[in-house]
Amino acid sequence: MGYTLLEGIRVLDLTMFFAGPISSRILSDLGAEVIKIESGSHFEVFTRTNVYPENKPGEEPWNRGCLFHSLNAGKRGISLNLGSEKGKQIFKRLVEISDVVIENFRPRVMDSLDLGYEELRKVKPDIIMVSMSGLGHYGPLRDFYMYVPGLEGMSGLSYNTGNPDEPPLLSGYAYGDWVLGATGAAALLIALYHRRRTGRGQYVDIAGREAVICHIGEMIMDFTLNGRERMRVGNYHSSAAPHGCYRCKGDDSWVNIAVESDEQWRRFCQAIGNPPWTKEERFSDSLSRWRNQEELDRLVEEWTRQYGHYEAMEILQKVGVPAGAVLNMKEMHVDPHLIDRGFFDVVDHGRGIGKRPIPRHMPAKFSNVETFVPKRAPCFGQDNEYVLCGLLRIPKDDLRRLEEENVVGGTPNFPRGRPTPTDLIEKQAAGWFDSDYINELRKRYVEGIGENHDITSCLIETSDT
Amino acid sequence: MTEEAFSGLRILDWTQGVAGPYCTKLFADFGAEVIKVEKPGAGDAARRMGPFSKDNPHPEKSGTFFYLNTNKKSITLNLENETGVKILKELASQVDVLTEDLMPGRMSELSLSDDILRKVNPRLIVTHISYFGQSGPYRDYKATNLTAYGLGGAMYTQRPSNKPTGRPVVEGGLQAEYATGVLSFIATIAALINQNGGHGGTCIDISAMECVASTLAVHMGEYSYMGLSRRTNPWAIHGYPIGYSCPSRDGWVSLTPGIGGATNIASLIGRPELKNDALFTKPGARMAESEKFDALILPWLKERGKWEITKEAQKHRLGFTPVLSPGELLKDEQLDAREFFSEIDHPAMGKVTYPGAPVRLSETPWRVGRAPLLGEHNEEVYGRLGYANEDLVKLREQGVV
Repeated sequence: MGYTLLEGIRVLDLTMFFAGPISSRILSDLGAEVIKIESGSHFEVFTRTNVYPENKPGEEPWNRGCLFHSLNAGKRGISLNLGSEKGKQIFKRLVEISDVVIENFRPRVMDSLDLGYEELRKVKPDIIMVSMSGLGHYGPLRDFYMYVPGLEGMSGLSYNTGNPDEPPLLSGYAYGDWVLGATGAAALLIALYHRRRTGRGQYVDIAGREAVICHIGEMIMDFTLNGRERMRVGNYHSSAAPHGCYRCKGDDSWVNIAVESDEQWRRFCQAIGNPPWTKEERFSDSLSRWRNQEELDRLVEEWTRQYGHYEAMEILQKVGVPAGAVLNMKEMHVDPHLIDRGFFDVVDHGRGIGKRPIPRHMPAKFSNVETFVPKRAPCFGQDNEYVLCGLLRIPKDDLRRLEEENVVGGTPNFPRGRPTPTDLIEKQAAGWFDSDYINELRKRYVEGIGENHDITSCLIETSDT
Repeated sequence: MTEEAFSGLRILDWTQGVAGPYCTKLFADFGAEVIKVEKPGAGDAARRMGPFSKDNPHPEKSGTFFYLNTNKKSITLNLENETGVKILKELASQVDVLTEDLMPGRMSELSLSDDILRKVNPRLIVTHISYFGQSGPYRDYKATNLTAYGLGGAMYTQRPSNKPTGRPVVEGGLQAEYATGVLSFIATIAALINQNGGHGGTCIDISAMECVASTLAVHMGEYSYMGLSRRTNPWAIHGYPIGYSCPSRDGWVSLTPGIGGATNIASLIGRPELKNDALFTKPGARMAESEKFDALILPWLKERGKWEITKEAQKHRLGFTPVLSPGELLKDEQLDAREFFSEIDHPAMGKVTYPGAPVRLSETPWRVGRAPLLGEHNEEVYGRLGYANEDLVKLREQGVV
């Protein structure tokens, strides 16, 4: 009892934006100490300065951006200028007391900073270094500018996402970045496992596009085995029907139904009251249903339209037919199953933001392992003292000098905080706003959600270790 | 002097389909001995999933099964049978990890609860993989990739062709399954690192619904911090014409200005005089008048090939990229230079080409290897437990293996 899985593992995290921070967030959820390194010239500009609590940029908007909070909870944060000689020296001293360095700069950047793997292993022979990029650290296209549409588009995934008569569809939630991030965490742990056993570190090269390709293995196999090019099929299954997303009673409300066998079909028909059309020859077996599924979908939807999505799910689950409501973000936060499982952690952000439920990035439950609620994502430069004075034993006076020399500290030239253009979102129907969300969350979680109360979160103790 | 990362590690894999096997495939490909437990006769459900080699439905010819079970050993064992359960315990006593994906509660019914397994082997890590977890109101619900994806919240964010209120569409392939597989791998290996640290075994409860939900940090945050439930990707709000596939002469290209900034699009399409036009400098303007923007760029795209556009745009620091089909990956210069695809002979399928390592580790190689035939390793694995060939014959007669 009383230990976390990655207790004692220290990760220096140079990553920015989505994929890299997802990786280190997973490690942080497992109990590793992640030290996120930003600087006055290189900082989390996108995630720190978008989407504010209550849509108010407020004071120090760069410490309020919610994308940053979600992706960086539980990490420590320092500001250290790697462009300066002294900054590099300090970074190397940190490497000496760390286990892993993880970065997602464009290939070449670490080498040009003289902080490539060969340099780092000189100061820490068993260091593990993980480089995350779009197309990998070698090969003719390695210098491509790659973002999530490249990860998904160049892997065959986009080509197979969406309806057949429409263009390839980008995932709604940067899934390609998540795959890169999760695969990065996986690779890092492989290296860590190996080091625990042999004492040897190594260098890890991850191409996000290759990681995504590994998630569509069966489609690649259809090409290599049969020369068949898989295409977008919407929600259809290759052999089962009905299999799709059906409209329910209410606004923008949907239920997924997947009938996988004739036995499930029989039970499905029974659950919906055996209307005469279910007896028709053209729906009598899997193949016939699959061939006539457009008409079948229309008839199934006549039934689902009479019920709410949760209601339709429950009716069908009662007879053992796979059915699931399509949950929106509000429903996710108030879903009885997720609440019962404790999927969300209530993280305290202190003054001006208060407590908010945020999802774990490692959602597994472990027996005999301490469960803990992560601290809020770090304010810019929050842990300079803890890391530099506490861990590296740099005297406080020297730290002041380093601040004056712009090696550490400072506040970057963050862009002015802009509220999210709610009118545009509503006009385009890209989303909808729940004006009562604070109360909804208070009802399900704790009272302190969203309250303007003080904690000392930005000044975490600098002592010990 | 290279050695596989997991050499010496033993995993007893009682999962089938996609999620569990993808988790254990990662272990096997990086050197673990993965003993796959299959039902006599039928085997893993993925053996009945297409695509099949030469479209010939045959349990040894499934491409899905092949891909997800490379480098594993297969034994058959009937767990409906008391002797089968006894043998499973004997196997569990000799491995580091047991993975399983039965309906929650089934393990206890078979007298294989966590407590019993931990008694058999105190160092054992047990990874329970399911759609909804071992507890909670949906525990006993039936699910598939599609329904787990919707309940995990991801599907709500996927609307076709930029029509935010259109019917949601699932991500291509089996992403709820693969996401669960990767996170199961991460959870298991984290527990292994710990076991090495002397803390002993642990039991892991991981569910597909929560795995999918954990990929949605951004959308979730928008609700809990500002009450927004978004139906689309989060980029649209910032006004980038990002990610949507546009037609080129020979397929699709996705347009992502990225750090180069959209002003560079003006010079890319030979209209540098428009560089300061609001359409190129202000995301909001582009959003408000997307037809105007389209009228400028779509004809230019239509006259050019997707790779030509990509390479030209990349020179302008724009993150434009081609949308490739699975088949096009087999002749991709970058994947080729990185020798991404692997090839191996299989007794029933002949030469098979399949996707290679998801990550490159400098010291610990990834193994090329094929999937096992059903029960191919019965003699080897049961022999190691001390069952002689005549014992195996008897067990076969009793329907145990």
